[in-house]
Parts: sequence; structure tokens; C-alpha cells
Amino acid sequence: MANQLLDAKGLNCPLPILKAKKALKDVPVGETLEVLATDPGSVADFEAFCRATGNELVESTQQENVYRFVIKHVR
Amino acid sequence: MGELATTTIVGIGGFVIGLVFGAVVQRTNFCTMGAISDLVLMGDGRRFRAWVLAIAVAIIGTHALYFGGAIDVNKSIYLTSNLGWLGAIIGGAMFGFGMTLAGGCGSKTVVRLGAGNLKSLVVAIVLGIVAYMTLRGLLALARVQLETATNIDLKTRGLNNQNIGEMAGALFGLPGHAARAIAAVVVAAAFLVFCFKDADFRRSTTNVVAGLMIGLTPIAGWLVTGILGADEFNPTPLASLTFVAPLGESLQYLMTFTGSTINFGIAVVGGVIAGSFLMAVATGTFQIEGFTDRNDFVRHIGGGALMGAGGVLALGCTIGQGITGMSTMALGSVIAWLSIIAGGYLGVKYLEEGSFSGAVRAVFARG
Repeated sequence: MANQLLDAKGLNCPLPILKAKKALKDVPVGETLEVLATDPGSVADFEAFCRATGNELVESTQQENVYRFVIKHVR
Repeated sequence: MGELATTTIVGIGGFVIGLVFGAVVQRTNFCTMGAISDLVLMGDGRRFRAWVLAIAVAIIGTHALYFGGAIDVNKSIYLTSNLGWLGAIIGGAMFGFGMTLAGGCGSKTVVRLGAGNLKSLVVAIVLGIVAYMTLRGLLALARVQLETATNIDLKTRGLNNQNIGEMAGALFGLPGHAARAIAAVVVAAAFLVFCFKDADFRRSTTNVVAGLMIGLTPIAGWLVTGILGADEFNPTPLASLTFVAPLGESLQYLMTFTGSTINFGIAVVGGVIAGSFLMAVATGTFQIEGFTDRNDFVRHIGGGALMGAGGVLALGCTIGQGITGMSTMALGSVIAWLSIIAGGYLGVKYLEEGSFSGAVRAVFARG
């Protein structure tokens, strides 16, 4: 289980990323943030986000219409 | 072919171009708003470079058609001698701000609509109505006032059009034709260098392909309206890809179908919806989505209205001015493009800070 949860379901670009960026600030380094989203574009967005910010995308899965991302706060 | 009316041929051409555009955007996630938010929120410039690459490709193609004598781009709305600089600044900023609120620009809205997003249906309807109000309706009165008061007639300064090359040539005493060619080569080369000097972008095949393909669509548009649409009795106005006015015209077309004829822009909108729908179904990304909270609903309506009015004031959107207009290297298009980027930047900051004053403070605090 991730340490914190962000529900971004129903929101689309750029809001899930924007909220995740904010939420990640409150996650201590080494711990994880779980994000739930429904925007199909968010899959590519979270890959790009983690790549560009140097955090680790531990998990990117889809169940029904909900995408689930687990991000480890690296820096 | 002799049996088909010119308007039908232009309609088919527009639909096919729209089909390709919609499929490419849906598949590659090309997004002008996303380009700005990627830069601001995560310092990732790959999608922004895809946009710049599309402009470079469009500049090269458009100038090849112009200097090859195939298309007289001076007849497009972008290069007229009537320079609407203030409309480009205000309208561009409104459009840029609006697209961040609405989760995407005019074209992205149409693409997402095709992929099942009903929030985009609301944005498209509001955008289309407000655009038409600004073109011909209640808001048109204010628009005409603004344009009459501020537009500059370049003819009084000895210029026939607002191509930045020709304008610079007139300043330095160079012949217009040569100055125009030089400016096109210099700008296109600079944009290509900006894109490909970045290793991240070079490695991102998706973004490179998106930039190349999207850049080809306005060139195809010139060919359809300029060559297939050539009719000595009833010539088609020279136009290419743009989404704001066509969204308004599409709504009107649907409502008055029996008394209307299709035009290029309307056909493109139809093609984009079909193209993104087919691609979404093929890739398993088609999904009906609606609003989940009230604030999101309000943001989308506000964003659609800002894009509708701003897009008409600026004579185009991130595609209409940001790629098609830029391909003609019109001064008004450059002003509109930069204003859209500035408005988009402010819009992302607004979403981040939660208030307009907070956004303005954030912009000036970080420079």
C-alpha cells in the first residue's frame, strides 16, 4: 500500500499532474503517493512527470476505467 | 470528378485531413496546452518541441507552395495589410488562459469529444456559440469597435502584407521577395535546431512523428482550398486548419443543414471527430466521461467561452494562428502565438495557485 492517496478521478490534464506535484511535496522522501485518475492521457503524463522530475513511477495499472499510479518520492 | 460540386470536393478534402489530424492527436497525445503545462509543471519540453517542429514543417511547406507558384498565401486572412495587433494580444491571452481551464485547446476539445469525453462536448458547444457571437452576434459590436480603434493599415506605410520577412526587408531596403525567402529559411532552420538539439526530443519518436504529421496538415489544407477549391465562378476562400470559427459554423451547419453548404473548416471538424473516434476505438481508449464536480464544470464553461471570444479576436487558435498562421510568417500570427503561450502560462499558474492574483504574483516572483 502506498503511504498517501490522491483521488484525481474525473479531472483531466493538467489537473492530475498539478495535484500530484502538490501532494508529493507532503510525502516524505522514500515514501509513496498513490494517484487514481480517469483521464486516458494521464498514463503518458505520469510517465513524463516522473521522468522529468526524477521521481520513480513504481506502478502504472488500469482497472476498468480507473488508472492507478504509485509514485515514489525520490527527490 | 466533373459531377461533383467544388464545395463537395473541398468538403471531402477537409474531412480526410481532419481524419488524419484527429487520429494523430489521439494516438500521440499531441497537445498545445499540454506542451505549456509540461514545461511549467515538470520542465519537460518534448511536447512543446513537437509543436515547434510542426510550425517549422508548415513554414517550409507553405513557402515551397508560395514560391513554387502553387498557392498565393497572401490571399489568406493571416497576411492581410490590416494588422490587428491588439486583438492578437488580448484574444491570444484569453485563448491561452481559457485552454488551460478547459483542459485543452479547440482542436484538442474536438479530439477528446470524438474519444467519448462529454466535458469536451460542453466546451465545444460553449466555444462555438461564443465564437459565433463574437463573429456576428452581440459581442461582434465590441470586437468591431476594438478593431476599428486599434488595427493598423499597413498600406499607409507602403506595405502590402504583414509577412515579417517583407516587413524587415522594407526596413533594411531589401527586395520583398528575397527578404521573405530569407526570413522563412532562417526561422524554419532556427526552429528545427531548437527541436533537434534536444536529445530527449530526438529520442521521443512519438513526439517527432506527431510534430511532422501535424505540420503537414496545414500544407494539405492550402492544397485543398487553393487548388481543389479553385473554381472560376465560385472560388473557395483560401484557408487551412483552424478550429474556433469552424466550431461556431459547425453548430450552425448542424442546425440549418438543409439551407447550408459545407465549407472546409466544418468538414475538418467532422473529420477530426471521426478520426479520433476511430483511433480511440482501435486503441481501446474510447471512454464516456462526464463532470464529477461543480468547480470542474464551471472551469470548462469559462474556458470554452474565453477560447471562443479570444480565438475570434486573435483570428485563430493554437492551430489556426499557432501553426497555420505561423506558417505564413504573418506578424499578427507571431503576436497571437506568443500571447497564447503567455496566457497558457498564466492559466497553469492560476490552476496551481488557485487564484488570479496568486497566479500574477507567481509569474512575477519567478520571472
